[in-house]
Amino acid sequence: MSDSAFDEAGKSQFVPAPCQVACPIGTDAPSYIAHIWEGKYAAAFEAITATNPFSSICGRVCDAPCEPACRRASSDGPIAIRNLKRFVMDKLGRDHHSPPVPVSRTKTVGIVGSGPAGLTAARDLAEAGYAVHVYEMTDRLGGMMVWGIPAFRLPPGIIAEDLDRMMAHCPGIEVHLNRALGRDLSLETLRERHDAVLLAIGAWWGKPMGIPGEDDSRVVDGVGFLREVNGGARPTLPETVVVVGGGDVAMDACRVAIRLPGCKRVTVVYRRGAEDIPARRDELEGARAEGIELITHTQQTAVVANGNRLALRCLRAQAGAAEADGRRQPVPVAGSEHDIACGMVIAAVGQRAGSDELESRDLMNIDRVRADFNTMATPIDGVFAAGDGAFGGSTIVMAMHHGHKAAYYVRAFLEGRPTPAPYRTPFRTRRVAVAPDPKWELFPRQHQAFHGLGEDPASFPEIESTYAGQAARDEAARCYRCDAETGSADFSVRNREDIFAMARLAGDDGARQTRMLRRRLKPRDPPFARDRAATLDDIVFLPANLSRLVIDPYREACATRTRLGPRLVLANPLLATGFDEAEAPVRDALFAGLAESGSGYVGARAPGRDVAWLRLAPNAQDAPAPEAGAVIYPLGSEFRPLAATRASPEQALGLSVARPALEAAIPFALDNGFELLLLDGSAGLGHGAAEQAGFPDLAVIRDAVAILRRLRKEGALDLIYFGGVRSGTDIAKVIALGCRAAMVGTALGLALGGTLDQAGAVTFPTDRDGAERRDAAANFITACAGETSMMARCTGKTDIHNLEPEDLRAISLATARAAGIPLAGTL
Amino acid sequence: MVTIDLAATPVRQANGLIREAGGRGEDVRVVNPDARHHIGVGLTDPITVRVKGSAGYFCAGLTDGARFEIDSNVGWGLADNMYRGTVIVGGNAGAIAGVAIRGAEVVVRGNVGSRAGQVMKAGTLCCAGDASFMAGTMMYGGRIIILGDSGERLGEDMTGGEIFIGGKVVSLGADAMETDLSADEADGVMAFLDRHRIPFKGRFAKIVNAGAKLRYGTAEPRRRSVPFFVAAGQSDYWNARIQEDIYVKSQIGRYRIRGYGAGRPMPHLNDIAFKADLSGAGSGRDPLSRVTLATEIGGKHGARPLELSMPVMIAPMSFGALSRSSKTALAIASRLSGISENTGEGGMLEDERREADQLIFQCLSGRLGWNIHDMQRADGLEIYISQGAKPGLGGQLMAKKVTKELARIRGIPEGIDLRSPSRHPDILGADDLVIKVEEFREATGYRIPISVKLGAGRVHDDIKIALKDGFDFVELDGLQGSTGASSAEVLEHVGIPTLAAIQEALDALAEIGRAGDLPIVLMGGIKDGVDTAKALALGADAVGLGSAAIIAGGCIACMQCHVGTCVVGIATQDPAHERRYDTQREARNIHRYLEAVRWQLAAIIDGLGYTDYRQLSRDDLVALTPEAAAISRLPLMPESGRVAAP
Repeated sequence: MSDSAFDEAGKSQFVPAPCQVACPIGTDAPSYIAHIWEGKYAAAFEAITATNPFSSICGRVCDAPCEPACRRASSDGPIAIRNLKRFVMDKLGRDHHSPPVPVSRTKTVGIVGSGPAGLTAARDLAEAGYAVHVYEMTDRLGGMMVWGIPAFRLPPGIIAEDLDRMMAHCPGIEVHLNRALGRDLSLETLRERHDAVLLAIGAWWGKPMGIPGEDDSRVVDGVGFLREVNGGARPTLPETVVVVGGGDVAMDACRVAIRLPGCKRVTVVYRRGAEDIPARRDELEGARAEGIELITHTQQTAVVANGNRLALRCLRAQAGAAEADGRRQPVPVAGSEHDIACGMVIAAVGQRAGSDELESRDLMNIDRVRADFNTMATPIDGVFAAGDGAFGGSTIVMAMHHGHKAAYYVRAFLEGRPTPAPYRTPFRTRRVAVAPDPKWELFPRQHQAFHGLGEDPASFPEIESTYAGQAARDEAARCYRCDAETGSADFSVRNREDIFAMARLAGDDGARQTRMLRRRLKPRDPPFARDRAATLDDIVFLPANLSRLVIDPYREACATRTRLGPRLVLANPLLATGFDEAEAPVRDALFAGLAESGSGYVGARAPGRDVAWLRLAPNAQDAPAPEAGAVIYPLGSEFRPLAATRASPEQALGLSVARPALEAAIPFALDNGFELLLLDGSAGLGHGAAEQAGFPDLAVIRDAVAILRRLRKEGALDLIYFGGVRSGTDIAKVIALGCRAAMVGTALGLALGGTLDQAGAVTFPTDRDGAERRDAAANFITACAGETSMMARCTGKTDIHNLEPEDLRAISLATARAAGIPLAGTL
Repeated sequence: MVTIDLAATPVRQANGLIREAGGRGEDVRVVNPDARHHIGVGLTDPITVRVKGSAGYFCAGLTDGARFEIDSNVGWGLADNMYRGTVIVGGNAGAIAGVAIRGAEVVVRGNVGSRAGQVMKAGTLCCAGDASFMAGTMMYGGRIIILGDSGERLGEDMTGGEIFIGGKVVSLGADAMETDLSADEADGVMAFLDRHRIPFKGRFAKIVNAGAKLRYGTAEPRRRSVPFFVAAGQSDYWNARIQEDIYVKSQIGRYRIRGYGAGRPMPHLNDIAFKADLSGAGSGRDPLSRVTLATEIGGKHGARPLELSMPVMIAPMSFGALSRSSKTALAIASRLSGISENTGEGGMLEDERREADQLIFQCLSGRLGWNIHDMQRADGLEIYISQGAKPGLGGQLMAKKVTKELARIRGIPEGIDLRSPSRHPDILGADDLVIKVEEFREATGYRIPISVKLGAGRVHDDIKIALKDGFDFVELDGLQGSTGASSAEVLEHVGIPTLAAIQEALDALAEIGRAGDLPIVLMGGIKDGVDTAKALALGADAVGLGSAAIIAGGCIACMQCHVGTCVVGIATQDPAHERRYDTQREARNIHRYLEAVRWQLAAIIDGLGYTDYRQLSRDDLVALTPEAAAISRLPLMPESGRVAAP
């Protein structure tokens, strides 16, 4: 859990996922995983490479601390975050380049060493506009990535991919190969040439085991062995090789050995249990799959040479007291001495840095560069250190973290900020939508194909390949998306993460409990913005409980029959509108759907004989349409007296008004025999995007009801509401506020397969046929009618028209005012 | 043979004597019954009880194995929830005869009132006369034999079982149909009648479920949810969530279903704060040793109260919605933390009973898994009226979760989309509820506290009714309360927020001069010790933790509980998915979470200078938003607490 998370808008609400927190460079894994599901590989590439200059390499060989941190690990296996990265990099890593960043500063930086720490710092500083000179003692860039990792895990072309990309992106990096500190350059020269120096010299040398006999020529150190092989050598080994150690170097060394000519058997000797092995789990499994034997709980005590024969003398070790990292200390068992016969011993028990030049400047602390981990500074002003050489052997991703951190402090130094805020790993989110894959819960972890030694092991063919497209998408679908809101304000990511953390707090850890309490006491942002508009969303129904118990009906059924005026009867309270200008196929499908579901239509166009028609806005010259059930005369916001005529005695008369015209329109309607009053809460009934111009006006219902009440004419006009109605719940609310029916425009357009364009108009793609559209309209209306009746039933009603304002409460003050109903809890 | 004279012996005492006689295996004769309620309730020994006259409500209710012979008429709820055993009524029976029986044979020689055999699961209900309306409504199994005529809507919404009707049928109910009966079935019915010496010469029609409503039609497309609150009010009115809803409804023709509670932001406990600066609370001291949190709840009518180590309970959640493993983890955690657990709807699990020290057994409208034996080994009984997530509607459990085992425990057919009734068969109003509560007390010897679970709606009225009905405490659940499956519309739009609920409840009790007379356990979106402290300061007596406890135990809040293939193995009955859940590990996590809640609560109380949670009061609180101030009537101080340390 980090407090340092900010989203791209600088807001602090974002809580990074555990995988992102576990990543030393804060890789936005949830976003790139989601982009993979979407098939947006370029966007995934951006998320992957944003903080990781060695993404292609990491796609294959990263230690991937994200995966053990993945929450799905405890369910059915973590997301294969590393392999998903590889999937993207295999697709785009070679050709996809970020634009070059020119040098824009005068100061320069010298970096010694071109491993992941040095080059990451180089990239950051070059991106900041500095010219960076990288001095590398060997003939190639990459440090341990090149010299330490065998080609069957990391083919040379992959390293080149990352380096090419970096150099194309950062023309300000100048590379000096075959330049070693001490041999070719002194620290003083570097300090004279550059404004700052970063020592990223790596831990290049193997540590000795510190046991008798290890100076035998058949005992080699692990990193030296790997360096030789990675340089191109393919030495013939004895039949039996023993590797001592349990780290990544030991794993690489044993897997190299088994591939080399002559070698038939490789045994790894480790002093603790298999569960304590620091190497990545996959590497151990890979080694075992390749036939390597692991002997655990065994501590080497001597190398014994007997002529041609060699043996590693060992004691068995018991698991002793737990150490700080939770691993149990190995305790040798007296009398358990035994020999493991072999022809060669590879000691992979740790690495150390070494530099006579730095030694002479008193910059070495035994086998590390003397540096402060808080500032990456050495005792010499303007000289910084990073990576394995300064802080001990670690992983590529940790070295990159050092590189970022060192670059941060180097910049602060160059820019004259002596006490910058402590460096924090940046956690960014790209806020990618959660993959709506229907099988996300079901897919098991998708494994990548493992090829093992291959047909010609000594040629080091790659041991595994990445996914084909569909498997990557399935794997991406599995992501829990711990970073993403799921739709609960109460159980937001922040609250969930806090609960999760509380579930892992020791009860007696007062310090952490105190910190958590302080976090929990911090108020959230208010639920409603100050200028929150009144909205149907902020109205709730009061359910029947102990009061208002009814026995019937038991399930969702509830009468929805809706009478408008004296004679017009609909099966439900829904009136469609806004399709006069729609293409004929869409309109016909809608009318068929309306006929099927017994709803009506409000518009200028006749919907056909089977659909109740409320004819809108006839001009004087229009022929009378006696088949229309009602004629609606639009007034809008301004009242003017008008002459209304019925085409037949059965026809109802209606007025359509917006709020400003109510005071004048209602008495006029009452005096002139109107039966319907259409309350326009939209931006203007009849305009194309009337419902998309913002929040609809609820107060029009409140005011109409109030005026009718004042005139003692409540019920004398049947009220119909228009504006932003999206669901049966909205319709039920409108009815409870005092209307008999609601008009639905945009929502039906969307139901018919329409999409909202930029201007807010609904447009209809041609991908649906008439029957699909008709069914969609009928389904949506059925669903709305069902929802309306469900709301009524929850309040204890058997007829939707028995809903009352009294069944409602508001949950915001703005809505309470606009709708004229009390705030929940205040009555 | 023991003779009990109800003219001289109160029913409570008489039931004790009947049970004692049952223990000895001695039959009982009840004289002067005069239609008293609850005769023989709670009897679990195979003796014969002869009632020499008429019995009132719930005669032979909540029994297993006995034989009851009533000479004359009985009131409603005859043989309520009876397991095995036989009831013979010489006269007529009132409404809901044979309600919720699970194997008994119930014979009424006269007529039966309305809704006979409602929600019955197994056994036979036989009416030699006429049945009033809606016989067999919502029955899940078993057999109803009616020799005379039936009133309207016979077999209304029956799910399983058969009705054999010898006379005329006024009308069939929804989703019921007539079908042919086989010779075997006819023989079986006649054998039953012969056994009870009931002559019958006519022919039977057989009524069964028509199958139209057992499963939803088109499946809802499975999707992970679009956050609602990018949607609600703040942003674009026609946002992605709204558009998706409309699209899905246009495909399935009905409302959408999901799990969890109301998603959108609304006034809540978060919008009130403590007046005092608590930024140093708990720092450098052990608050747990400085404050008293232990409490008892449920003893106000003489029952043995629940003993809680802090005023916190695990909220009711069912086996069904949740897997056995996660129910067990909750039970273990409740024991480790010294609080109560709750079965929710759908019966009591052995593992749950064994692991929980204090277990509340919940009774719902469908009487799923409800039985006298589990009642008697419960530590609390709870009548569910509604819940915050879906007040006014019954529970829902989608077919994927209605497994063989679950169907067996609940007594329902396997593989249906289970929609529980929204009303109890025998609670049509406050007065019935008084008698129902008494039945439970009679059946359990007045030992066990009885609570009511209420979703927050008309709290102002409901709380007064709950007080009148004699409950020991009320669980009041706000709009934010969660569920395993409900209509998304109801989840978001029915009920009032938790903050408004507690305020209305307290106001209503104060209004009638009964403040403090009905303990209130508040639930619905309570997340931590801070929310708990605020709820207690507002006036709640305890809180219930549901979703938060589940999240502590591994839930990722994806809201897909209804689908049945829960990715972490919590909301599932699928063994392959349940295997993903490590019960012991998650029990420890939930326990640690509960202990963190305790720590926070204690640190706040200590930080305010108190030594007992009962000292918390409204005076300690301020409101941060205009809505919260209007609802709670606390002073509005929007900047309070906002400058606290990070």
